[in-house]
Amino acid sequence: MNTSILSELKKQAQQAWPELDLLIGWETGYDTLHTTPVFIKDSSEIQRLVWNPFCAQNLAGYLVKSPIVPRGEGSKKIGICVKGCDSRSVVALIQEKLVARDMLFIFGIPCRGVIDLRKLIPNQTGAKILSVRLTDDQVEVEHSKGLQHLAFADVLMRKCKRCRYPDPVIHDVLLGESVLPRIESHELYQDVAAIERLSLQERLAFWQTELDRCLRCYACRNACPLCVCQDRCIAETRDPKWLTQYMNLPEKFMFHFIHALHLAGRCTECGECERVCPMEIPVSLIKEELNKITKELLDFEAGLDLEGVPPLLTFSPAETGI
Amino acid sequence: MGKTDSPTEKRALTIIGFLCNWCSYGGADTAGVCRFKQPTDLRVIRVPCTGRMDPLFIARALILGADGVLVSGCHPRDCHYAVGNLYARRRLEILKRMLPFMGIHADRFHYTWVSASEGQRWQQVVTEFSEQVGGLGPNPGVTSFHTGNREEL
Repeated sequence: MNTSILSELKKQAQQAWPELDLLIGWETGYDTLHTTPVFIKDSSEIQRLVWNPFCAQNLAGYLVKSPIVPRGEGSKKIGICVKGCDSRSVVALIQEKLVARDMLFIFGIPCRGVIDLRKLIPNQTGAKILSVRLTDDQVEVEHSKGLQHLAFADVLMRKCKRCRYPDPVIHDVLLGESVLPRIESHELYQDVAAIERLSLQERLAFWQTELDRCLRCYACRNACPLCVCQDRCIAETRDPKWLTQYMNLPEKFMFHFIHALHLAGRCTECGECERVCPMEIPVSLIKEELNKITKELLDFEAGLDLEGVPPLLTFSPAETGI
Repeated sequence: MGKTDSPTEKRALTIIGFLCNWCSYGGADTAGVCRFKQPTDLRVIRVPCTGRMDPLFIARALILGADGVLVSGCHPRDCHYAVGNLYARRRLEILKRMLPFMGIHADRFHYTWVSASEGQRWQQVVTEFSEQVGGLGPNPGVTSFHTGNREEL
């Protein structure tokens, strides 16, 4: 199934190429388990594209971050491959006028979920993966300590297990067949609800333990397609000076408050922050909680409607309940 | 803040008040001019408008161990800058609902609206909030397991 989507993608990319300057997609990385973003600038390179459940990266960030191509008079469109979750980030960027819709050519791919590599070898056995074979709902992992069969649904990323929008919400061409959401909308916030059930002391202890591991490498921020301040990020500016370089817990909490609150009402739950965290801190839980609040309070879900305005960039004089 | 205090020692509360220049700061002044008795725990920071309030100001104060944070501005539709407080109340409400998720008691933060003429209301707001924060006891802030006082939490 993935191969037919891939050949269709290549065909469509070839067809669309006269309109494009650049096509952003995925290619095989340093081994078969890893894919890496590819920036195609010539139609002869289109065959480098791949599509499989290892294509985890959200490419939308590259529309607003380095290495962005300079746009000018007469420049053609940027082609971009998106999964369901990535497409919401693209919509959010268009909503905030950070990219123009007519600048993009979007290749939408309905997605059955991407694999969390950390789940392929459970319990940190240290075994080296030799090869992985995928069937529709099974993953066969051959590693240095033997052969293992896993269910596809078990090795998905957390964000995929709670995916509500597997089909791209915006696209110029759609590749492959529509995929059903994995959960109902009322199940969306089960993970944050589990934390909400803890007592206040337990919640503080939970975040103290989790955030204590934070290295402040800022990978979560860098991978986030909607963290667009870049060099002006207040986590690093000297004026205003919000954070010091001390590695203590208050500074770590503060950094995650900055990251999460700057995404309040904007986060599209692509899960990149959590995927790239080298310390495996569930950082996107904080953003999910904020999304849950904005949904309850202001009935807004980020990255769905091109005309929508992120709720914290606007107000309504009528809302007296707040 | 208060880190060197021994847990048994009774200490004054540290409550940070962010007051908008045009209404609540005036309201607090009115309360003073009228000689209304008020708790002394509040340290006032004057801001041009509640629209200036970055929710991170509040988060930072609470993370570092302020016992409470009070934000007060013009009543909605009475903002000196027309709409500053309308932006503010969305941000502040979202922060208030998010704090408990991170393990910080929502009652340590309160936002309200007090106009320049409402000296009496100001007295009532400050008194009630101080009592509310006093009831929660000192805020340990977010201390490290290794250096901090986990038992106290």
